[in-house]
Amino acid sequence: MTAADIEQSKKRKLASRDDLLPTETSNFSAPKQSLEMLSDDEGSDDAVSDDGQVDDFPEIDAASDSDTGGEKDTDEEDSGGTDEEDFLAEDSDDSLDRDIFPKPKTIISDITGQPKRVYPEIEPDYDSDSSTEDAPNRVGDVPMHWYDDLPHVGYDMDGKKVLRPARGDELDRFLQTVEDPSAWTSAFDKTAQMDKPLSAEELDIIRRLYANEVPDAGYDPYEPMTEWFTGKGKEEVMPLSAAPEPKRRWVPSKWEKQKVMKIVRAIRQGRIISSKPKTASKQEFYPIWSEPSTSHPPPLPAPKPRLPTNSESYNPPEEYLPTEAERAAWEALDPEDRERDYLPKKHASLRLVPAYDRFIKDRFNRQLDLYLAPRIQRVKLNIDPSTLIPKLPSPQSLKPFPNYKSLKFAHSMRTRCISVSPDGAWVVSGDEGGMVSLWEVNVGREVKRWKFETKIGALEWCPRVDVCYFVVGIEETLHFIIPPNLPSSVLLLTQSILAPTALPPAPETPSLVKWVTPPTSSWSPDMAILTVQLPQSSGLPKQIAWHRRGDYMATVSSGGPQGGVWMHQITRRHSQAPFKKIRGAVQLVLFHPLKPHFFVATQQYVRIYNLSEQKLLKTLTPGIKWISSMDVHPSGDHLIVGGYDRKLCWFDLELSDKPYKILRYHTRAIRSLAFHPTYPLFASSSDDGAIQVFHSRVYNDLMTDPLIVPLKILRGHTVKEGLGVLQVKWCARQPWLVSGGADGTVSLWCS
Amino acid sequence: MGRLRQKGKAGAAKAYVTRTSAIKKLQCSLADFRRLCILKGIFPREPRSRKRANKGSSAPTSFYYAKDIAYLAHEPVLKKLREHKAFAKKLSRALGRGEWSDAKNLEDNKPVYRLDHIIKERYPTFIDAVRDIDDALCMVFLFASLPSNARLPPSLIENCSRLAAEWQLYVMHTRSLRKSFLSIKGIYYQAEVMDQTVTWLVPYQFTQNIPSDVDVRVMLTFLELYQTLLGFVFFKLYTDSGLVYPPPLDIKKDEGGAGVGAFSLQSTSQTASSAPPKAKAVQIEGRTVSGKDVRQAIKSMAGVEADGGEAAVQTADSNSMEVDEEFVPHPSTSDPQSTMTLTTLKALAALPQSLTTSLFSPYTFYLSRETPRSIFEFIVRSFGGRIGWPASSGSGSPFDESDDSITHVIIDRPVLEGTSETTEERERRSRRKYVQPQWVVDCINAGKILLEEPYTQGSTLPPHLSPFGEYEGAYDPTAGLTGQAVEESESEDEDVVLPDAEEDEDQEVQLAEKKALRAAAAANDAASLRAAELAAEVAGVDFGTFEKEVRKSRKKSKAAPKDETEAAEQDMNKMMMSNKQKKLYEKMKYSQNKKASERATLEEKKQQLQKQKKREAKAG
Repeated sequence: MTAADIEQSKKRKLASRDDLLPTETSNFSAPKQSLEMLSDDEGSDDAVSDDGQVDDFPEIDAASDSDTGGEKDTDEEDSGGTDEEDFLAEDSDDSLDRDIFPKPKTIISDITGQPKRVYPEIEPDYDSDSSTEDAPNRVGDVPMHWYDDLPHVGYDMDGKKVLRPARGDELDRFLQTVEDPSAWTSAFDKTAQMDKPLSAEELDIIRRLYANEVPDAGYDPYEPMTEWFTGKGKEEVMPLSAAPEPKRRWVPSKWEKQKVMKIVRAIRQGRIISSKPKTASKQEFYPIWSEPSTSHPPPLPAPKPRLPTNSESYNPPEEYLPTEAERAAWEALDPEDRERDYLPKKHASLRLVPAYDRFIKDRFNRQLDLYLAPRIQRVKLNIDPSTLIPKLPSPQSLKPFPNYKSLKFAHSMRTRCISVSPDGAWVVSGDEGGMVSLWEVNVGREVKRWKFETKIGALEWCPRVDVCYFVVGIEETLHFIIPPNLPSSVLLLTQSILAPTALPPAPETPSLVKWVTPPTSSWSPDMAILTVQLPQSSGLPKQIAWHRRGDYMATVSSGGPQGGVWMHQITRRHSQAPFKKIRGAVQLVLFHPLKPHFFVATQQYVRIYNLSEQKLLKTLTPGIKWISSMDVHPSGDHLIVGGYDRKLCWFDLELSDKPYKILRYHTRAIRSLAFHPTYPLFASSSDDGAIQVFHSRVYNDLMTDPLIVPLKILRGHTVKEGLGVLQVKWCARQPWLVSGGADGTVSLWCS
Repeated sequence: MGRLRQKGKAGAAKAYVTRTSAIKKLQCSLADFRRLCILKGIFPREPRSRKRANKGSSAPTSFYYAKDIAYLAHEPVLKKLREHKAFAKKLSRALGRGEWSDAKNLEDNKPVYRLDHIIKERYPTFIDAVRDIDDALCMVFLFASLPSNARLPPSLIENCSRLAAEWQLYVMHTRSLRKSFLSIKGIYYQAEVMDQTVTWLVPYQFTQNIPSDVDVRVMLTFLELYQTLLGFVFFKLYTDSGLVYPPPLDIKKDEGGAGVGAFSLQSTSQTASSAPPKAKAVQIEGRTVSGKDVRQAIKSMAGVEADGGEAAVQTADSNSMEVDEEFVPHPSTSDPQSTMTLTTLKALAALPQSLTTSLFSPYTFYLSRETPRSIFEFIVRSFGGRIGWPASSGSGSPFDESDDSITHVIIDRPVLEGTSETTEERERRSRRKYVQPQWVVDCINAGKILLEEPYTQGSTLPPHLSPFGEYEGAYDPTAGLTGQAVEESESEDEDVVLPDAEEDEDQEVQLAEKKALRAAAAANDAASLRAAELAAEVAGVDFGTFEKEVRKSRKKSKAAPKDETEAAEQDMNKMMMSNKQKKLYEKMKYSQNKKASERATLEEKKQQLQKQKKREAKAG
């Protein structure tokens, strides 16, 4: 392709793109030639409307204005002429104007022989409306798509339809562009709905626009300037204002001088340096530590990182290398949880050691530690941990205490309650099946058994030694039972106390509790000699607590009014409720061994009442969620309280309302606690199946704290349905322990 | 009635501020706050009760001391940071408007902060500064090895490598390097400067690239501080030892890859330089003798007696010391017992120099081209040796390979078979000792010249152990197995060996013997022992083995029940501990057990490895 070809194709593109451009420019400044060029193609259309009369028109003198006035009358006269002439006349009337249009000449038509007026040719110069010149289509400036569905594209001057020019299909058009050499210089004419070749002027305009020149060829942008005010003889001699010239025009400014002087002074004093050295100059070092330091204490130095150990070596001993399992464990751990941030690796030679890929990360982590981690100064304890264990006397030196199981007595069901006779020779044990067995401590032989309807809630021997009986608490009833084979004197005395021949006078206020003695004739060892019927719906007596004299007895029932606490007096055969109302559910009660005090354990507190003065003495807060057991030291000054939350609290009643010591060593709930009446021992039993025996020495002087030494953990009961050892009791004169478990066995532990 | 106390007016509520409120108070951005904290060394604190410090909220926040923040508010750097913020705004405005000359003026007068006062504040004495340069050295050595990019301008890298070289020069000059350790992370060096041990880690010479989860801004802020700190520290160190700081750099040498050799140490005055450098070193040594040195000296004395024949190089420069008057203690008249004996400088000087700082002075080393020059040049020169290297490792080698004075060649490549060498080469080879790089490091850690035999070219190296030691009671790979373990392993060995060593016909006899021995082990009282002895005799066990067995079982049985009862008692006594004590006890026990189990696993592994080796030796 030659350069010319390229130019051509460019032009073609341009022409096709800017098809509107020529029409616009033609409206703007349509030269005469272009109009002539256009008229070539429109010849056929013209022939239709003009009948070729144009050729016949003679040359008309344009300057024949003078005739117009005289010929007006003829206009009027000839009004009744032919249609055609009328049309013509009217037409000319409309368009005629005195100033603009010349008068028509009247000539004799050689076709019709009639005279007719002939107007001179209109000269299309600058003033004329060239748009109406000879465009055959007179639709005006309407969107051409209105004619899209019609066979014509508008109307000519005579109101006839201008038919749509034939347009071939794409192939025809293509062929036309190929054949016609002027096709690339033609553009689509909207009004004519066909391609029209562009005139040379139009092409010239396109070329100029393309070359960024002024489109009008006639415009000269570099016209010589016309000088109006300058130049010889054109000077303005008079001033615009008559004001006199101000002084500042010729006197140097004082303020400027002051400002300059300021800068000059600053330069002289060295405050302004003309060429200041750049700020990014190098850091200068000087002996910074030569002048004395401030009194400020230096900040704590950051802890140094740990020094590397053997395992970090590039060539460690082989035992440091991780096994597969260790490696897997290390990789499975989260990077934060890893003890070491690397895996030991062995390289045969230094040249084989690769770069450490976490080097920068390690440095970064160290820096994060330095500025983001709170630092705490910790005193490192450099002690042997075994010194923390309190030094206590060896259990061997604190003998005797129970340390082995000497015999076992079997019940068929859970043994909830046991009691040891005051002389320590007999044990009664009751199970949930309602069976009460009396057996001998030394050999474990069962002497007698009683069967009750419901399960046994509590069981207790009377602490008196001159009489011998025990009380069994079952559903809403207390049975007083005399064991068999008693010496006759003891038997008689017991019978006289429990079933006196002359009943004491009934109290003035009738009690809810009924004391019933069967008739003498029906007395038998199988039957209770005395039965106390607790009020209805008072439930199972959970606990029986004797006063040390053996005359008063307190019971705690699971239900009933006044917390279920009843105080019974044997000699008067009378029962009363000591509390009108009590806060919390009463768990346990106890008599003080020496004083007329009464301990009441509710679910969370232990209250101490003075019975003689009838007032509350103290409230102990053991901090246990649910108290399960309690016992008082024989001296009466110390109390142990156990809870279902595994805690055992030792209270020094003289000292405080808070526990002196809290022991928490059972793994399950504590069920029972017992102080030995004579030996310095106490035992606790728990649902974990263990009984723990402690040495508890209490000193008489107030200065020495009680000494508590764990002695022995007795295991032997099996845990059944989550219940372990339910009750422990001590034998009075021996360091022996009797325990009843949920597995139905009662064990005797001897020293 | 006292004054009513309002909540939040005193105590922890006033003493601590959260980070957000600190930023609010300082009116700076979080990034600026971070930068300030790094530069000033302010770190968060842990209040005793987070709730009390944070108005009852227990949300996870970091707390700072309110006083620290008040202290930051007066910081000149903070002012400069604010100025910089204004400057950045002005500059971007000028650039946006295309006011180039204004922008240039602004750029020229850019506010720049100095950290000198911060260095002085954070390290009031020089010793404080030296104590804290570990991290700074690690960072500088790391950045000296990084490639420069848009975030790390070449000038920064250059400055870091200059500081690294200056430190190495100083350490070499004063011969204060003590230990070195080739680890998988890099090379640890430990030097003793101004009586402070300084440990730093240098990465191996590979290109490191910064991982994406690392905040470079934080690292660069630290580096900024560290560069200033090191500059001042080096200035003091150099001037104290009579050297010019900064040491002049020979650019031509530096371009030739001379590394440390491109810098030349210059004495501050001619008179100082004319004095022999040896005397100066002694003086410095005399000044820096410390309690630690004495302890090490005593330890090494014991060590020297034990190892005897080893060729240990000792430097005894104490003769050159001039005679000082001895301090004589005068006992006080009132309390004659209370005379305190002070260790005097003379007494210290009388001690043999344990630190063999001139360990390599009789030797001349030559580096093979595959060994990293920067490491071994530093180590060897720090211990007084001469070292040369091929031109491929950089320029500035004081001698070339053919030098006759070379005694050791540090080489790290396998032995090639069938290479033909000239007679001259062979002769040279016979005169020199070819050792692997680990030998150099092991020598300086041991403080004596080790035998070259296990370290010869191509041989399997002995394990490289950390010279820094581990915690007390940790597993020691150099010691043999402990008594119990050895005994067990022996017996196990016997058990293992017996069946396959003896023939089948002996097996019944074996069984009888075993039974007898077992009876002896079970025997407690004299009568049963007697019976067991007789049984053993019948079975044909000789008396020696019988005795041994009995003794072993005695030991075991005696230890066992007594321990058991004691343990049971202790367990019971634990019940009486308070909760706090119990927790402390549990914690201590936990860590003890962990250490013990670690040690046990290592010992077990070693045993297994030994057994395996034995088996392999037997098989092969």
